[in-house]
Amino acid sequence: MPLAVDRTLLGRVYDETEFEPVTAGELIAFSRALGETAPCYVEEGPDLRAHPTFCVRYRGRKGFPDDFPAALLGRMSFDAGKDIALADPIRPGDAIRVASSVHEVYEKTGRTGTMTFVVVRFVLTNQYGRPVATIDNRMMYRP
Amino acid sequence: MTLDDVEEGDELPSPERLLSKDEVRAYARASGIAFPRFTDDEAARREGLPGMIAPGNMSLGLLASHLERWAGAGTLRRLGATFRGLVIPDRVVRLCAVVTDKNHAAGTVEADVWLESDDGDRLVVGTATIAVR
Repeated sequence: MPLAVDRTLLGRVYDETEFEPVTAGELIAFSRALGETAPCYVEEGPDLRAHPTFCVRYRGRKGFPDDFPAALLGRMSFDAGKDIALADPIRPGDAIRVASSVHEVYEKTGRTGTMTFVVVRFVLTNQYGRPVATIDNRMMYRP
Repeated sequence: MTLDDVEEGDELPSPERLLSKDEVRAYARASGIAFPRFTDDEAARREGLPGMIAPGNMSLGLLASHLERWAGAGTLRRLGATFRGLVIPDRVVRLCAVVTDKNHAAGTVEADVWLESDDGDRLVVGTATIAVR
């Protein structure tokens, strides 16, 4: 049976979280863990910036809106993928704010049954209000 | 490199990379990921997995670095990927990309990207937009 979703929950910001300023050490550790060697990602100094996928570390503190379909809560879920659109780079000292909304809910039927996909959109801005990244995080919920 | 140096259909070099368990654990630590499936074999098996796995975000990061090694640091504009299979540590993965389009007005190229296992299974597949100066 198709999942009943209240479409009014789509696009509505349900959480805004502001994080502590990021340190140079955090940016460098992340880049090094990926084997990066580009100086702008691994060397302290005025050119240091975050690796382009550092932004996926950020997600709102509240996982879902209060009116999220109860039928999905408690189901086993997996990270099915991401779409990242990058804007201003993250630099040491930046305090990132994350606005979370449910962007899309859809179903796909496979060999094991109907799986539900929930796309949560995280819009990241820095302390100047400048856009940093928009991340669509696709979670798959098993039947 | 300029847009004139790039043609649709160009394949980037496809480096192989042995992902060790320690590298995956280091990534999980640096990312603030607390799920034991990414750090501990036994805990992963209790979840029905064959052993610890690499986070999907790590694959995304490896693909991003792969693209920027080609085009230069700071050139990635967009990256989207679907996590289709498990990336198991202590095995070789291959990072692949092919140019699919050029946008002269925007100064960007589009590419199909994927991470494949040592037996050729495409475990992570996606597309990217890269600025070419």
